[in-house]
Amino acid sequence: MKYRIREKGGVAIIELSGKLMGGDDSSIFQGLIYDLLEKNKKNIVVDLSSLSWINSAGMGILISGYTTMRKHQGDLKLLHVSNKIKSLLYVTKLNLIFESFDNEKEAVLSYSSN
Amino acid sequence: MPEYITIEFPSRHEYLNMIDIVCGEIAEDMGLNLEIANEIAISVIEACTNALEHGNKSSPEKNIRMVIKRDTDKISVEVYDWGKGFDYKEYLKHIPDPSDIQKVRGRGIFIMKEMMDNISFELIKDRGMKVTLEKNLYRL
Repeated sequence: MKYRIREKGGVAIIELSGKLMGGDDSSIFQGLIYDLLEKNKKNIVVDLSSLSWINSAGMGILISGYTTMRKHQGDLKLLHVSNKIKSLLYVTKLNLIFESFDNEKEAVLSYSSN
Repeated sequence: MPEYITIEFPSRHEYLNMIDIVCGEIAEDMGLNLEIANEIAISVIEACTNALEHGNKSSPEKNIRMVIKRDTDKISVEVYDWGKGFDYKEYLKHIPDPSDIQKVRGRGIFIMKEMMDNISFELIKDRGMKVTLEKNLYRL
């Protein structure tokens, strides 16, 4: 997994690329989440458009980030979810947990409407 | 006549993406629709992830063996590891709720069961665990 972080409208956008399949990715992503919390960045959007693959271990990584943010009164939302990832989210009913968007502007604006 | 494709690779996460490519190529060659192709690829990667992490304990010296059998009405995939196995009969009685966000892991077998038509486990003496995934193609 590779990543890039940028900011838009007070929202931290984490762009993930490559594969999110467990292993070292877990500690790397969790480190990212805690770095953002230290900077008081609690509104997170994870852009999955460049992610070539995710498995259930990778979903666990996103869940871990989501629960960490929620515990700190923040949130973690998904952007550009591919059909493969959607099918994983639907079969596990995690689509009911993660808010997801096809449009970055809408994802960012969703935080200002809270 | 069924055709068999056998692939063996070290227990490293980096190789899991290769499975997606292989499954995608086979699905395209068989003319499977995208939904079925995705379900097969997702399930096989879950089985290989379990073999890698739980069976082979991420030891790169231990290989994962995958045998794909393609037939006209069915595709089946066997995944072998070198682990000690687990009490799958007991596990299958109490599969964790996949929507429970307190659990970071433990969704793989649920996903395989939902996406494939049949899943079976076998502990092979002096070898390890064998997981067989089957997908019927009669819906095409």
